[in-house]
Amino acid sequence: MDTVFIDGLSYGIPLLCIAIGGIYSERSGIINLALEGLLGMGAFTGSLFVAFFGGFFVQHSSVPMYFAFLFAMIGGALFAMLHGLLCVKLKANQVISGVVINILAIAFTGFFTRQLNSQVFGQPSDRINLGVSVRFDIPFLSDIPIIGAAFQRVYPFQLVIIAVVVLSWYLLYKTRFGMRLRACGDNPHAVDGAGISVAKTRFVAVMISGALAGLGGMSYAYSIAASFSPGIYMGTGYLAIAALIFGNWRIMPTVAACMLFGFARSGGQRLSHLLELPASYSDLIFTLPYVVTLLVLIFFSKSNKAPRALGEIYDKGKR
Amino acid sequence: MKIKRLLRSIIGGEKRQAFIIPLLAIFCSLVVSALLLLSMGRNPFVAFQSILAGAGVLAKPNYAGGRGMVTDIMMTLAALTPMIFASLAVTVAFKGGLFNIGISGQMLFSGFLATILVGYSDLPSYVAIPLVLIVGAVAGALVGGLIGILKSKFNINEVVSSIMLNYIIMYVISFFILTRYVDSITRNSSAINASARLVFQNFMIGPYRAVLPVFIILAIGAAIAIKFFLDRTRMGFDLRTVGLNTQAARYLGISPQLNIMFAMTFSGALAGIAGVMHYLGYNDMIPPGSLSSIGFDAIAVALLGNLNPIGTIFAAALITVISQGTTYMSSVLDIQREIAQVITGLILLFSACGAFLRQLLSRTGERTE
Repeated sequence: MDTVFIDGLSYGIPLLCIAIGGIYSERSGIINLALEGLLGMGAFTGSLFVAFFGGFFVQHSSVPMYFAFLFAMIGGALFAMLHGLLCVKLKANQVISGVVINILAIAFTGFFTRQLNSQVFGQPSDRINLGVSVRFDIPFLSDIPIIGAAFQRVYPFQLVIIAVVVLSWYLLYKTRFGMRLRACGDNPHAVDGAGISVAKTRFVAVMISGALAGLGGMSYAYSIAASFSPGIYMGTGYLAIAALIFGNWRIMPTVAACMLFGFARSGGQRLSHLLELPASYSDLIFTLPYVVTLLVLIFFSKSNKAPRALGEIYDKGKR
Repeated sequence: MKIKRLLRSIIGGEKRQAFIIPLLAIFCSLVVSALLLLSMGRNPFVAFQSILAGAGVLAKPNYAGGRGMVTDIMMTLAALTPMIFASLAVTVAFKGGLFNIGISGQMLFSGFLATILVGYSDLPSYVAIPLVLIVGAVAGALVGGLIGILKSKFNINEVVSSIMLNYIIMYVISFFILTRYVDSITRNSSAINASARLVFQNFMIGPYRAVLPVFIILAIGAAIAIKFFLDRTRMGFDLRTVGLNTQAARYLGISPQLNIMFAMTFSGALAGIAGVMHYLGYNDMIPPGSLSSIGFDAIAVALLGNLNPIGTIFAAALITVISQGTTYMSSVLDIQREIAQVITGLILLFSACGAFLRQLLSRTGERTE
């Protein structure tokens, strides 16, 4: 039971980070299917830092890891500017732009990882090895029976992300910037009427989205994958989108959705372990998060309300 | 203003835009790719030349015994066939206002069903081949139809649901291949019988051994038929109307729900045919746990082909030449072959900007004329 909690959280919390990135973008009115590519690009940037500068730090130091997270956020945000440019400035179709970004990110990161490995590090490989981050128990809290498991063997990034989540909740709901951002998604004309640039607000929202996706992607690179490789593109970005739709584009319900996906995954793995299924059955277990997502969407998609101006290109002259 | 006018004089009116904008997208992406190659110390002209040579469009300096340019070009045509079908699938869905990104999953599903139902049977060719095509189309249509139902009845974004289905199909089929149909040496699914294969193998053209991809004719025929369907028939008109404006379609008495389902089923069927062309034609087995990149490249092709079925043929040829020729280029230049994906991605990126260019120009037109 404990492992279900521990693994579920270590998968669900980065997913939440990516989903909140999606919320920022979509509440500002920009459909963001690019999360998958953004999380990969972020993780790639962070891994690149470790590959080049990791050697300058004391061995087993966790300092490069924190730098990697910082760079992942920067990389994600910078790459998200491309999505912002296409959607806001160039008025491209937002769905197409998102998919283009994903394909481009997968191609770029895959190519450069291979090229760097063979040219700079002299070994043909498609991955940058990072190792797994240290884990620790939170004192006192982890001793509580049952729910204490949630505080055992915690990755440091989980705490970082929780802090980021609280911060982004505050930013979105309690500040003037957040209010304007949400207004951009519901009634951009009103925002424009108030003398605030819709384009700028949306652009910033997309960049925040990229930074959060990058942070989430880097967390996977430091936990489940233990490396950066094309294997990081396992549809997490799309799961995050499903989670935020399920969560009705609001942060708190999305937290619940992400935890559900996390526990579906870890619960399935635990179940196959308990039933002593042969290794080939793991393929079937892997489908669980996707099946749960589809089912959840079937039951909840109809009743929920997307931001009213979601996906619409803002045109000043249009009424 | 001056720049816009200059652009306009290059690109011309709406008729010419259909050709010039895709060409511009290709040109821009080749320039960026060339810069990328230059920055890595490679000669971009040698690179592009060896891509063409690898795909059989230009001659290589030397060939292995029994092989020639015709061997390579036939292989490229064999790879082109599924690409055209996949791009037509994207195009049809797009015209109906839908984005079918689940083509890879639909291809895998149809390829797998056709492999186990027909590919492993001892049926003679004249029964097996039509059966493969039918099974492929029906299997693809089922998956596409499911996505259509999810969209029209449950309001689920088709991009999200098709990605989920992609992963589910990939893992479930990987499970079946690894537990039942695996070839112990290759670790792929066992090879299908030659009688069910859609690309005829070991054909002699003069002194050269080559494959014979006869179904390229079917692909081109399908493109022409779909062009006719979309432009000249009532159903095609309904489909396009829903794609352009759901509200207007409703006022005209056209049911958006019905058309969404129809467009996705049709698109899925085309993707299914692409699947059998790929897995039971170009290939004769299925690697477990992976999706073909054709389904994603097809999006680039459809956009580049201006969402016109005829344009799709040319765009598909270009993208196929790039992906087929890169293996040879990567051996000539000692560069990773994933560069093909990067070039395709760049073409996709610049094609996506095409809409902006078109809008920009139409506005300039209003002001100047």
